[in-house]
Amino acid sequence: MNSIKEVNVQTGVEKEREMNASELKQYEIDKIKTEAIQAAIVAKAQAKAELLERLGINADEAKLLLA
Amino acid sequence: MAKQTFTVGQVLTAAQVTSLQQTAMLGGAAQAKTASYTLVAADAGTAISMTSTSATTITVNTGLFAAGDTVFIQNLGSGNLTITAGSATVSTAGSLILPTNDAGVLYFVSTGVSIFYDFIQVGAASPLTTKGDLYGFSTLDARIPIGANDTVLTADSTQSLGLKWAAPASGGITLISTTSFTGSTLTLSSIAGTFKNLYCEITGLYGDSTYQDVNVRFNADTGSNYDFGRFGSQGTGTDITNSAAQTSLQIVSSGTNSGASEKSSAFLNIYNYAQTSVPVVFMGFGRGKQDTNFKSVFINGQYRNAAAITSISFIASAGNFSAGTVKLYGVN
Repeated sequence: MNSIKEVNVQTGVEKEREMNASELKQYEIDKIKTEAIQAAIVAKAQAKAELLERLGINADEAKLLLA
Repeated sequence: MAKQTFTVGQVLTAAQVTSLQQTAMLGGAAQAKTASYTLVAADAGTAISMTSTSATTITVNTGLFAAGDTVFIQNLGSGNLTITAGSATVSTAGSLILPTNDAGVLYFVSTGVSIFYDFIQVGAASPLTTKGDLYGFSTLDARIPIGANDTVLTADSTQSLGLKWAAPASGGITLISTTSFTGSTLTLSSIAGTFKNLYCEITGLYGDSTYQDVNVRFNADTGSNYDFGRFGSQGTGTDITNSAAQTSLQIVSSGTNSGASEKSSAFLNIYNYAQTSVPVVFMGFGRGKQDTNFKSVFINGQYRNAAAITSISFIASAGNFSAGTVKLYGVN
């Protein structure tokens, strides 16, 4: 299902093939890592929103407080 | 009035005093000349006025004048008048060539040494003659003639004026390849190191139902060699990510459900990609649909591996690319 397209930009020759075992392994590693990064960003944003709610201030007021 | 030697008890006429006054003020009657002339002793204290359509000279010889003597010289003709050192020396801080309506005072330091005080000093008169001329300098002010169309002014120390008009150095942008996205990874390989920088432009990119982000790798290098900062912004807020020693760099954040109506675009500049002595720096922008909002990402960083970049891989973090185009340009 996971294929790689390789293009030699000097000759214009294109090849499409399935990932080999090591490429597939790397692909899965990358996928997990990306998901973790995205999850961290979402979690951070969520934590921030929850904290603001608990404090009863909005983001602009928080900026003012920290300025 | 010419220079006089007065005697004790001599009585001057009103006309003589007036003439002396005029001479002292560099005025008075001038000796009209229409051809080249050699000064004589009686010219001391007088004005010489040259009128000629041809080039003429005033020659200065030694043994005729005393220290402190002066001769006022003017040129009313269309031909240039040149003060010429005969057997006396003539120095000047200006020019010894008098164009029309120029004048000056020849002052004798001693009988054989004179200085010409040119009223129009060098630089006071423009050397420019033609549309587009520039004011230059060698050892004197000089004209730099306008060059041919589409040439540019270029420093060149071998030129007498230090400048020349030359064709602009070659440069510009060259389209290396245009490739459609398919599969889960697209690799542009065999990139020649003949350009200064690389520029990638991605347009119309979207993927299948599980497709999300686009990561980039150089030389298929999965090592921890990518350091970057990323600033993301979308309708719900912003995020800043500082990432060191990563195994790829993320150029597009799309989130899931980024279909044909929510195409991503991006560009990536890679500077000095063919050198191997210092990390290669990159900068880019990407835009993708993140949930219900478009998200734009600015990224800048470095690829920390001592290798020239010869391939660039665009990797879908999940799923497959459905469509999109990447154009690779070489920039000089």
